[in-house]
Amino acid sequence: MSELAHTNHTEKKDFLVRSSSLKDVRSFCREVFEKLNIDQNLKDELVLAIAEAAQNIVKHAYKNAPDTEDKMVVQISCKDNKLQIGFYDMGTPVDPGKVKHREIDNIKPGGLGTFFIQQIMDAVEFKDGKKPWINHLVLTKQL
Amino acid sequence: MSYKVTEDGNIATVHLDGEIDMDVTEKAKEVIFPHIDAGKEVHLNLSNVQYMDSSGISVLIESHQKALEKNTKVIIKEVSKSVLKVIMMAKLEQILNLE
Repeated sequence: MSELAHTNHTEKKDFLVRSSSLKDVRSFCREVFEKLNIDQNLKDELVLAIAEAAQNIVKHAYKNAPDTEDKMVVQISCKDNKLQIGFYDMGTPVDPGKVKHREIDNIKPGGLGTFFIQQIMDAVEFKDGKKPWINHLVLTKQL
Repeated sequence: MSYKVTEDGNIATVHLDGEIDMDVTEKAKEVIFPHIDAGKEVHLNLSNVQYMDSSGISVLIESHQKALEKNTKVIIKEVSKSVLKVIMMAKLEQILNLE
C-alpha cells in the first residue's frame, strides 16, 4: 500500500436517494481514493462495495419512495491505515438479521450486492442511526 | 450507457458502452431481450464497459437464462479486465459464455 494511503483523511457528501445518483457516488469515491493514492485494483473493489451499499439504500430502504427528495450521506474516513465508510439514510429501518445475500451457487438474478460487499470489506456493521438518521451502515477495510 | 446493435443473419451483436448499474439495467434489457426473444444468438460486446455492478451482473444472468429457454445463446465478448473481475467474484465465469 502506498504511503499516502496512511494519511488521516475524512470526506463526506450527500446524494439524492435515486438510482441516478449512483454514478455520482462512484465519482466521489474515486476522487477520494485518488487523493489517498489507493491502488487501482483495490480502488475498483472499494468503489463497487460502496456503490452496492448505496444501491441497497435506494432499492430497499426507499423501496416504496422512488421519488423521494431525501438525501443519503456517504462518509469516507481513513485513519491509522483503516478505511471506514459510513452511510446514513432516513429510509425504512433495516433489520440487520434480514440482510442476506443469495446462495452463490443458486444462479439467478439479484442478491449479489451484499455478497460483493462482504467479499470486499473486512467488516459490515449496522449501527443505531442518530437523529435525523434512521440507518447507519459502516463498512471497514484495513489498508 | 449507450449502445449499438448490428445484425447479421441470426446473430445480433450488441455493443454496450459506459457503466452498467441499477440506473441503466432496464435500458440494457430493452436493448438485449428482444433479440433473444426473436431466437437470435446474441453477441454481447463489453469492450467499452469499464464498470458493472450486481445489477449489471443480473442482466447477464437473466439474458443467459432467457437464451437457454429460447434454445439460443448469449456470448459475452471482449469483456474488460475490471468487469471480468466482477463476473469472477460472482463465480459466473464457468456459467456464462465468455469469449
